[in-house]
Amino acid sequence: MKKAVTAAAVVLAAVLAALLIYDGVINNEATADFFAMNTYASVKIKGADSEECAALAEEITQNLDTDTLSRTAENSAVSLLNKNGGGALGEKMQGYVSALLDVCEKSGGAFDFTLGALSDLWNFGGTPSIPDKAALADALLHSGYEKLTLSENTLDYTDKAAVIDFGAAGKGIALDEIREAFAEKRVKEAVVSVGGSVLLMGEKQFTVGIRNPSGNAGSYIAKLHIPAGCVSTSGSYEQQFEENGEKYHHILNPETGYPASSGLLSVTIISDSGILSDALSTACFVLGHEKGAVLAKEYGCTAIFITENNEVFVENGSKDIIEITDGAYTLI
Amino acid sequence: MKIIRKGDIALIAVILLAAACFVLWSNSKSEAPQAVITVDGEVVETVDLQSVGEKRIIEPVSGVTIVAENGEIRFEKADCEDKLCIASGSLSRHGDTAVCLPAKTAITVTGSDVDAVVY
Repeated sequence: MKKAVTAAAVVLAAVLAALLIYDGVINNEATADFFAMNTYASVKIKGADSEECAALAEEITQNLDTDTLSRTAENSAVSLLNKNGGGALGEKMQGYVSALLDVCEKSGGAFDFTLGALSDLWNFGGTPSIPDKAALADALLHSGYEKLTLSENTLDYTDKAAVIDFGAAGKGIALDEIREAFAEKRVKEAVVSVGGSVLLMGEKQFTVGIRNPSGNAGSYIAKLHIPAGCVSTSGSYEQQFEENGEKYHHILNPETGYPASSGLLSVTIISDSGILSDALSTACFVLGHEKGAVLAKEYGCTAIFITENNEVFVENGSKDIIEITDGAYTLI
Repeated sequence: MKIIRKGDIALIAVILLAAACFVLWSNSKSEAPQAVITVDGEVVETVDLQSVGEKRIIEPVSGVTIVAENGEIRFEKADCEDKLCIASGSLSRHGDTAVCLPAKTAITVTGSDVDAVVY
């Protein structure tokens, strides 16, 4: 009798111990950071496969860039399309292109991923400067999503000089690809940032800071309390340069070819989709607060607009998700 | 008659204690802000910001100078054109990050009250 009780107690203790250790395993944390897509990326993962997934995230992002989206890698899918004025698209590429064409149309051209020639003139990735007016007019002439036709898996450029560029959506696409890969692994929670576009995976309520548009990189003016999803911000503070006393930022208005000025400092989009959060943040920045809010609603996304008057608006979502942490900004 | 003897209790306690230690060890994280400097994803230096008083100069990679001083850390010099890393200023808070893209160098202050900052 006594022995049986002792044995039972030992077994119970062993089971508890095993549970504790199992908990340690499923909550195993891994972090990594890397440079890809000309930007900085960081990964925080909790789960049994966390270490494997940290490496996987880097591999996916690098491969997506060099094999598919990069305009500098000679044999990437995008480089070949631009060189040949179109071509057959792989299944994934077809998905990206049709999603982006939809944003182009619904935004009335405020978002446009055919501005490659224009971006090259401004050269925001390198040493930016104001382009020559004639060159800018010429680049604009050969830009515009309406110069692309997609029928099934074939993309055709009606103007062969058009240059597609995934700069405003590539980070979001990376997040979607990473999420798809993580879904196959034992991942309990993941926070992935590719150049400031963020993927949140897991059951918990996450806290995401919105960058201070006029302060240091890394500092934030508000916290978002949101469940799993994707968050992207477009702001005039990124890749800014000054010439003749005027400031120029990298979000170009496809209509004018110059940096968009719509009274906003930044737009943040919350969406289930990485590609949409990324593309819509750019579209809404160009459109401005009122028209941007309509577009975000059309896609069922929550949008946070920060105006040049330091006013913060939450559109198509509850104000309860946001907590302003910087007294210089006011939630309207 | 005692059902469980002292020895049994001790055995059970040892098993549970060992398991608890394992979990604590595997989840152990320092609460004090640590600045982690990485070059191309590899950690090259970790600085305990609370214990940094006098100026400490770190050159994680040629052409980049990082200074840790009075509980803060910042990029002091960089051979790049845009100097965005220097413009990021001093970092001290949990979650603060500054990055020099051309030199693939990043400083992150670990431990954070936010999961990420969107920019």
